[in-house]
Amino acid sequence: EAPETQESPRLGESLECQEQRARAVQRERYLRSLLAMGGRQVSFTLHEGVRVTACFGAADLDVANFYVSQLQTPIGVQAEALLRCSDIIAYTFKP
Amino acid sequence: MNEWMKKTPLEWQDYIYKEVRVTASEKKEYKGWVLTTDPVSASIVLVNFLEDGSMSVTGVMGHAVQTVETVSDGDRRVREKLMHLFMSGDCQAYSP
Amino acid sequence: NTHRSVEPPSERPGERRQAEMKRLYGASAAKIQAMEAAVQLNFNKHCDRKRPKYWPVIPLKF
Repeated sequence: EAPETQESPRLGESLECQEQRARAVQRERYLRSLLAMGGRQVSFTLHEGVRVTACFGAADLDVANFYVSQLQTPIGVQAEALLRCSDIIAYTFKP
Repeated sequence: MNEWMKKTPLEWQDYIYKEVRVTASEKKEYKGWVLTTDPVSASIVLVNFLEDGSMSVTGVMGHAVQTVETVSDGDRRVREKLMHLFMSGDCQAYSP
Repeated sequence: NTHRSVEPPSERPGERRQAEMKRLYGASAAKIQAMEAAVQLNFNKHCDRKRPKYWPVIPLKF
């Protein structure tokens, strides 16, 4: 099955179907971006002006945590860590 | 819950492939081309094209988004690049 | 709960979730559910092995 790329409404499609399709396309892209982050060096901007970098491991969809390794914090390196998504403002990586 | 989180998927969709400026918590500002907005967390994923030809991807967490302002509409080239980003993986694996 | 029923539950576990996914994602529900499962499985695999601790210990923002 080809990934959904079409965003324009299809002829005669109900608003509900359009919304479901838009939601599915955007969710799939987001999940794929999370999977693509695996093993990459990611820099995180946290609240309170805290900046850290780490190797991205995986995302926990239910609890909203990011598992990372080699987390470089202002006070040293933590080999394995969980970052709370609620602590994060933004993250950046190179695909 | 902020205004951005309350939008519908069809409203988020209008921003895809456009260049936007996002203001976030603690006066942070991010600019880039919109790849997607996660309909669950409202996190917005921006792509920037760097001078050396590479790309950088920035995710701004939905809870931290304050305003999203369109800077320019995407052209066909940007659209083509974004459309295929992260899509090269095995699609069959996720098909029912 | 005074209205406690002796009837068996009318829904099987996962059925409600599946209906919710269908409502949200329509024809793509199964695909999205499979992708979410893959992402979550990947997380569980890492964490079962490494038992990572939260950083910072106290949340920055409540």
